[in-house]
Amino acid sequence: MAVLARPRSVPRVPVLFGRRIRIQWPSAQYFLLVPLAVFAVLPIVYVISTAFKPLEELLIFPPPFFVRRPTMDNFQDLLLATNALAVPFSRYLFNSVFVTLTTVLLQVLICSMCAYPLSKARGLPGANIVFAMIIAALMFAPQVTRIPQYLVVQKLGMIDTYWALIVPALAYSYGLFMMKQFMDNSVDMALIEAARIDGANEWTIFWRVVMPNVAPAWNTLLIFGFIQQWNDSFSPLVFTRSEAMKTVSVAMISLTNGPATVARLGAQSAAAFLMTAPTIIVFLLRQAKVIQTMAHSGIKA
Amino acid sequence: MKMRVTRKEPQLAVAGAGVGDTAATAPVRRRRRMTLSVQRTLEGYFFVSPWVLGFIVFLAWPLFQSFFLSFHELQATSLSDLKFRGIDNYKEAFFIDARFLPRLRDTLQQNLLDVPVIMIFSLFSAILANQKIKGVMGFRAVFFLPLVIGSAQVIQQLFSQGVGGAVLSRGVNVQELAFQYLGPDAASGVEQLLNRLLFVLWKTGVQMLIFLAGLNSVSPVLYEAARVDGATDWDRFWKVTLPLLSPVILVNLVYTIVDSFTDTFNQVLQYIQQTAFAGGFRLGYAASLGWIYFAIVFIILATVVRVTNRYVFYAGERNS
Repeated sequence: MAVLARPRSVPRVPVLFGRRIRIQWPSAQYFLLVPLAVFAVLPIVYVISTAFKPLEELLIFPPPFFVRRPTMDNFQDLLLATNALAVPFSRYLFNSVFVTLTTVLLQVLICSMCAYPLSKARGLPGANIVFAMIIAALMFAPQVTRIPQYLVVQKLGMIDTYWALIVPALAYSYGLFMMKQFMDNSVDMALIEAARIDGANEWTIFWRVVMPNVAPAWNTLLIFGFIQQWNDSFSPLVFTRSEAMKTVSVAMISLTNGPATVARLGAQSAAAFLMTAPTIIVFLLRQAKVIQTMAHSGIKA
Repeated sequence: MKMRVTRKEPQLAVAGAGVGDTAATAPVRRRRRMTLSVQRTLEGYFFVSPWVLGFIVFLAWPLFQSFFLSFHELQATSLSDLKFRGIDNYKEAFFIDARFLPRLRDTLQQNLLDVPVIMIFSLFSAILANQKIKGVMGFRAVFFLPLVIGSAQVIQQLFSQGVGGAVLSRGVNVQELAFQYLGPDAASGVEQLLNRLLFVLWKTGVQMLIFLAGLNSVSPVLYEAARVDGATDWDRFWKVTLPLLSPVILVNLVYTIVDSFTDTFNQVLQYIQQTAFAGGFRLGYAASLGWIYFAIVFIILATVVRVTNRYVFYAGERNS
């Protein structure tokens, strides 16, 4: 009877007799959710707290989790360390921001463009071949192709330009796969037909009808792509030569591996904090859109 | 495409008949319909072409080239100097290079252990995050955070400072509690468990997302029916959720295997990268190592897909 008394607090619970245990479900769920959430947050808390640790606390082994005497010294050290770099830090920052944003936006556009006919015009000659290519591409470790990729980039004369950092990353297989799955599932063919009868051309349909309907998918792609590109240190290391073309992630590595590593421990932890901050911001800006709507559109096998 | 166009014809004809006189418009319309399908195809290609172009130039062609390279000797320092080596590169990998095989074995072992753990854990957390309880949206967001900061730079930095899960779990003081109440053996067990848990948690974001979407696509009608038939939660999980989720499980399994085998921290891949760029500059040899690794991953993946596919339950209406 207790169940009948407050059905609101226990949704999805059948109102049946002899199921007393189920009344306790909600609290049991929190009992599991909260520890998991705590574990999920730990790395971030650690990174933030480490960024404010003074040098003597950074040298303790094994490192303590929380900072005891927070200080801003690390950020000053970082400024000093970056002053010693060959190129002003703002240049790295500009490179990173420019390359990441351009790549991610173009990536989303190109993957979505390709997914649209694959998903909605099944009779398109060659569509099956393209889809088979995606499946194959999903299985390859990027490391296998990196060497010849370097040769291609070199042949195209892109070495040491922004092109080398942007163009090779654009045909992203996962992105296409995901966009296609979502379009299969959450864009009704009737909607497209309706737009067509109203005289919309394919581009208008794609941009005004299909894309708004798969907003969770491209937002997810945006987040994944941003994380990936922002942290990518491989392409700038290999595809560029001059210091002025390197990105923040490369600058981070040279900070970490450079001489006087111990003295720069503070600068490193501050840099780690600053390095993660943009990805967290992008995630927080876009995640509500992704997670809330994600559940309703769904990826299907 | 043809099917679709013919299906649409009546609609167009009706629209045309409504607007103008049928005698004048009919032949014009027919000609337009012919060009329409060609136009659609061209438009389709227009949409597909950027990705396909990028794919061919930066993925497919390099792939073929790396296969070609794996039978050659090529130094990154002198790119024009290409020497044919036959299968010597492969022989070297298996019989001469003492550093490759141990790394390969470690990587395989570790990943084969990790994949099931990641799968079970992500399914578990997806089910938790799918409960209709207060604040669950916040929990979902938090579960994704490790994915966001689980980025190479930060983790690398953590590890370089000798920080595993050990330090992180010290943040919640669990080991000390276990030590005080359960003794040293239990404490080290707990610590290992926590380390593992943290590691897995870092890697489950995407899988959880996919499972979450999958769980939501299971029709509530089925649960309702099972409930009416007197199924318990346990029964419903095994007999409704799991079978209907099995296609999603397969997708996730493929994703997890690919993801963990192509992880940047992977010893084999790091070694390949070293051989190619950092130390050796031996592009040909690195390519053959890459292909050996790829072949192994491919065999594992194919086996897993074949075996799993037998147990995957495709409900009639979900086949696309």
